Amino acid sequence: MVKKISFSILALAILATGIYAFARTNYWERSVRIFSYDPEAGLNAREGHARGGIEGRRIPGERSGSGRPDFSQLPDSVRARVEAARELPESGRVNFRDSLRRQSLGRTRIEGGRPPLEGGFRDGSGRGRGEFPAGKSINLRNVKWFLAVFAMFTVIAIYLDKAICLIRRKNKNSDCPGKS
Amino acid sequence: MVNLRFNLQPAISTLQHTQIQIMNTFKFILSLSMTIVMLLLMDPRSFYGLGFHEWAGLTLGAAFILHKILNWNWIKKVTMGFFGRCKPRVRINYVLDVFLLAGIILIILSGIAIARTIDFSWLNLGGSRMFWRIMHTSSSFITLALFGIHLGLHWKWVLIRLRIKKLQNGEED
Repeated sequence: MVKKISFSILALAILATGIYAFARTNYWERSVRIFSYDPEAGLNAREGHARGGIEGRRIPGERSGSGRPDFSQLPDSVRARVEAARELPESGRVNFRDSLRRQSLGRTRIEGGRPPLEGGFRDGSGRGRGEFPAGKSINLRNVKWFLAVFAMFTVIAIYLDKAICLIRRKNKNSDCPGKS
Repeated sequence: MVNLRFNLQPAISTLQHTQIQIMNTFKFILSLSMTIVMLLLMDPRSFYGLGFHEWAGLTLGAAFILHKILNWNWIKKVTMGFFGRCKPRVRINYVLDVFLLAGIILIILSGIAIARTIDFSWLNLGGSRMFWRIMHTSSSFITLALFGIHLGLHWKWVLIRLRIKKLQNGEED
């Protein structure tokens, strides 16, 4: 009995984690996206990998609209950075003030979440728009959510199978056959 | 001669049993490896980047084919009797396996179309990159869910392999 209760609690925990992971990874939206794919809209799509993101997943802090925000609405610090960027010299390097550069570097580290990834592609060349950063390290942060969803489907299948077996056994009084 | 055949019977039976055991252990290790690799492949950046993702994806496809070959007898048996004397549970397993096969084919095909580290341009698959990319994501997500259900339906077999559950009389191993 204790064994059954502990297994039930474990199953419930797996289910709860799976549901959370399902919502977190936008699992449903990303699964059925192919069925609502519009080839013409796809050509004009500004979301997704072309912008360095992943389909159907909004990048944290990303604007919802496609238009640019009102310049006057931006915070002073950001406006100063944009103005400095406008004065971009030919070399492509911007001479930010030290305080701004420090602020910018710090934010990149925090928002990025993981260290800058190294490694190139077929020709080892750059990582421009749409390029996929190839990591040289192990970061299983996202994998755990997929494991949770996978485990949730497994648990659902196990208990559904058991329930169907039980119902059939009660109705027909015949044992449930197994495969493999 | 009759006596000799009679004496050899238990030995042959034991040999067959050992062969089945080895085969089942191999199947279990293969399935476990496939599950781990499939999970690692769900995030291309999680494990040594895109190079690993593409090569491991191709290997997973090969492993899936091997898995089908190892279970070929079951596939043949169920295909022949699908509309006949098959039990509903076996039919569900079969349909699920067909969807899994379709999913894996779509994943590999779309993966080949969007590959960056391996050059598959000579295959000329056509279609827009965005289409293949969305196809790759959608099919892999659906297939992972199907993998979970497949594992759930074979959970008893997994428990038997892990020696948590004993084989009951009349059950096939």
